[in-house]
Amino acid sequence: MVEVRMTRRRWAIVGAISALATAILASSVVAGQFRAPDPEAFHAGLATGEITRVADIAAGDGKPARGVFVQATDTGQLCLWDAPSASSQQRQGGCNSVDDPLGGSALSASLAYQGGPAVEDVQDARLIGLVSRDVATVQVLMSDGTQRDVRLRKATLGSNEYGAFGYRFKKSDLRGGVGPTAVIARAASGDEIARQPTGIGG
Amino acid sequence: MKTLGAGLVAFVVALTLAGAALAGATTYAGPQQWSQNQGAGSAFSSSWKYNHFFKNGSGYDTTVTFIDNVTYSWHATVRNTSSVTYTYWSVSNVKRGHCRANSAYFWGSCVVVN
Repeated sequence: MVEVRMTRRRWAIVGAISALATAILASSVVAGQFRAPDPEAFHAGLATGEITRVADIAAGDGKPARGVFVQATDTGQLCLWDAPSASSQQRQGGCNSVDDPLGGSALSASLAYQGGPAVEDVQDARLIGLVSRDVATVQVLMSDGTQRDVRLRKATLGSNEYGAFGYRFKKSDLRGGVGPTAVIARAASGDEIARQPTGIGG
Repeated sequence: MKTLGAGLVAFVVALTLAGAALAGATTYAGPQQWSQNQGAGSAFSSSWKYNHFFKNGSGYDTTVTFIDNVTYSWHATVRNTSSVTYTYWSVSNVKRGHCRANSAYFWGSCVVVN
């Protein structure tokens, strides 16, 4: 009797371990579909390729001017970042495949800020981006329903033309806890072509 | 039975460590599927300079930042939908990398680098 009980218990343990191992293996197979790039290789890539200044961020509210740069790396990335200069390491932005620089949209924007996460505590907030050539205007939608117009500048990258922008939020833009909620790209007709959610503290 | 259990524990530990990268780079979250508003943070260190969110494609809204260990303010925060979101903050303060998914149902990992 004792022997039968021991055998059942043993089978129960083996069954539980098998189920756990199966679950772990299944999750690792799914995870295997995504392989993050080697960070060191990614950084090595950022040291390659041509860097083009596509827009400017004007000095304001005691903050120095910065540039908006596009870099097509030798590793197949097209990176958009803002920094004090092209050679600066203080780069803040993102990268997409060079084959799809806007990530399947007509708009690729990047918000960078210092301070927070509460809007009232933000000392410097900047918005940079690239848009497809059919975009005529870009606006930032604020949480109080108002909009800010962003000036577009033509940018030629390889054989393709884009619009580029760099915008620094004024202190008055972020007063009373009001912050950006979306970036909107419109055609010359005024029709919305693309919208990208954004925000401070999220 | 004890041997089998110990082997299983070793297997789980090995799987966990396999996500961590080489010297200088530390994967502090993922690779995993992310939920909206899910966040993760690295250990505190004065040596972190770069913070990345690597994703399985473009269009997924994410944020990376550094959080200091005194005021817990955010520094050099970047938010975008690029396939890699990254920032740089080179100060000697003790800080941790923090990443956050603002959209859901994508695969990605967060990595800080010295």
